[in-house]
Amino acid sequence: MLKAQVAVRLGTLDLDVTIEAAPGEIVALLGPNGAGKTTFLRAVAGLVPLTRGRVTLDEVVLEDTARGIHLAPERRPIGVVFQDYLLFPHLSALENVAFGLRARGVTAREARARAGSWLDRLGVAEHAQSRPRALSGGQAQRVALARALAIDPRLLLLDEPLAALDASARGDVRRDLKRHLASFAGVRVVITHDPLEAVALADRLVILERGRVVQTGSPTDVTQRPRSRYVADLVGVNLLRGTASAGHVAVSGGATLQSADGVDGEVFAVIHPRAVALHRARPEGSPRNVWRGRASALDFQGDRVRVGVEGEMPIVAEVTPAAVRELDLAEGGEVWVSVKATEITVYPA
Amino acid sequence: MRSERPPVLFVVLAAIGVAFFVLPLVGLLYRAPWETALDDLTTPEALTALRLSFVVSLAATALALLLGVPLAWVYARVPFRGRDVVRALTTLPMILPPVVGGVALLFAFGRRGLFGQVLDTVFGIRIPFTTAGAILAATFVAMPFLVLTVEAGLRSMDRRYEDAARTLGASRWLVFRRVTLPLIAPSVFAGAVLCWARALGEFGATITFAGNLPGTTQTLPLAVYIALETRPEVAIMLSLVLLVVSLGILIAMRDRYLRAF
Repeated sequence: MLKAQVAVRLGTLDLDVTIEAAPGEIVALLGPNGAGKTTFLRAVAGLVPLTRGRVTLDEVVLEDTARGIHLAPERRPIGVVFQDYLLFPHLSALENVAFGLRARGVTAREARARAGSWLDRLGVAEHAQSRPRALSGGQAQRVALARALAIDPRLLLLDEPLAALDASARGDVRRDLKRHLASFAGVRVVITHDPLEAVALADRLVILERGRVVQTGSPTDVTQRPRSRYVADLVGVNLLRGTASAGHVAVSGGATLQSADGVDGEVFAVIHPRAVALHRARPEGSPRNVWRGRASALDFQGDRVRVGVEGEMPIVAEVTPAAVRELDLAEGGEVWVSVKATEITVYPA
Repeated sequence: MRSERPPVLFVVLAAIGVAFFVLPLVGLLYRAPWETALDDLTTPEALTALRLSFVVSLAATALALLLGVPLAWVYARVPFRGRDVVRALTTLPMILPPVVGGVALLFAFGRRGLFGQVLDTVFGIRIPFTTAGAILAATFVAMPFLVLTVEAGLRSMDRRYEDAARTLGASRWLVFRRVTLPLIAPSVFAGAVLCWARALGEFGATITFAGNLPGTTQTLPLAVYIALETRPEVAIMLSLVLLVVSLGILIAMRDRYLRAF
C-alpha cells in the first residue's frame, strides 16, 4: 500500500497531491504536460525532496517532513521505469539489469544469473549482450522493466512507458506491458499524458492538473462523468457547469438547459457532440433545448466533422461532411442548435 | 555546404596566413640533420631531457586528474557563492604568461615563500629546483585544460542516468564510479590528453620555478632552448619530436577540434 501526501514547490510548479495505491490495482496518473506528474514520481522515488508531506509504503515511512525523515533514493524499495528508459549506454542489457543487484551487494556471478533470468522472463534473453543503442524501443522498454523489477521492489513506478515508441509499435508493447504489470504483485503506478494508455493499463485513474488532483475513479467513471475541461476534451465531450433545480440547469454564461436527470444543486452537464443537432431554421418538435449560434472551427475526423458553434452557449457538434455543405458551416453560417433533454447527463459537481 | 568564389584579396591574405604557419615548419624540416638524426636524438642530454619530460608531463597529468576531476565535479554540480570567481582563479593559468606563474609559484612554495618556508622548516621539504617543482609548474599551467573539459562533459551529460542508478540502489560514490565516470570518459580522456600536451610543452613556469638542471628539471623545451646555443642540430631534432607529438594529438582529437565548427 502506497500512501503519498506530496507537496513540492519547484520553480513555477506548485504540486500538492495525496495519492493512495493498493497492491493489486494499477493506478494511472493522467494529466497534461507540466501538471507535475514526473515531479510526483521523482518525489516518491526520493529524487526530489518534499516541501511538505509524508510518503509511506507498506507502513514503512519513506519520507515525513514533520519528523525530518528522508530516506535516500537508493534505500527505497521502489523500481522506476523512466521516460526514455535511461538504460546505461555503456553497459549491455544484462549488465543494466544486474546493476541494481550488484549495487545491493549481490555477487557478480549471482547478479548475472538473476539478471539473465529476468531478461528471459521478459522475452529479451537473446539481447542480453546488446548495448542499449542496438535495441528497438520495445526491447529497451522490456530491459528497463527487467532492471526495475530485478531489485524486487514493493512499488513500481512507470513514467510515460510508451511515449518513446513510434505509434506502430505502441499497441503490441502496451499489451505486453499490461501482461508484465499483471504479474507483479506490488503497487503499480503509471504516469502518462495519453488517455488511451491510461484507460488500457489502469484500473483506476487519478487526473492531475496544475499540481492538483481533479478527479479519481475507474476509467469508465472518469470518461462518463468528467469533472474537468481537460478530461472532457480528452474524451471528446462537451462539459458544462451550472446550477440545477427541477430539471433546469442554469449554465454559467446565462443560458438554461432542460435535462431529464433529477439532480439539484451545483452540477456538471455532459453532452456528447453526436447528440447535438444543427439546423438551418428553428427546429420544431420535441427537442427542449434550442438556441442560435454561428459555426466557427471545423475539425475533420474521418467521416465525421466536429463543428465548434459559438453563441450564447458555445458547444461542439458532430455532423457529416454533407451537413457541412448543406448548412454552409465552412463559411461560418448561422445555425440553430438543438439538444434533446434526454441526451444531457447531469451529475453533482 | 554552399561554396562560393572568394574575392582575390581574401585568397591572398589567407595564403599569407597559411604561409605564416607553414614556413617555420618548412624551415625546421629543411635544416633537420636527417643523416645524423638518430645520433642527435640519442645524445645523453637529449635522452635525459626526453625521459624527464615524459616523467614530468605524465606525473603532472596524473596529479591534474586526481585534483581536477573532483574540482570539475564541484564546479558542475555544487552551486556555491563565488563559484565563478573561484573558477576564474583556477582558469587563470591558461592565459597568464607562464613566467608570471613561475614567479608566483616561487613566492608561494619557494624556500622564502609563504608556504615554502613552512614546508622547509617543519617538514624539511624543498620544492623549487627539484623534479617535484617541475611537476608542480607543469600541473599549474596544464590542469585548467582538464578541469574545463571535464566540467563541460559533466554539464552536458544527462543527469537522469544518475537518478536511475540511485533508484537501483547505488550510493552516490557508486553512481559516480559506475555511471558518471563512464559517461564522461570521452571528456576525461580529451581533457587528460590536452593537459598532457600542455605539460609537455611547458617552459616559462618551469624554468622560473624549477630552474634548468639537466636530469632534474631540464625538460624537452628547456633542452631545446639551451641546445640552440651550442648544438643547433640537437635542438632541431628535439623540436621535431615535440612537433610530431603535437600533430599526433591534433589528429587524434580531430573530431573535437578540427571538425568542431
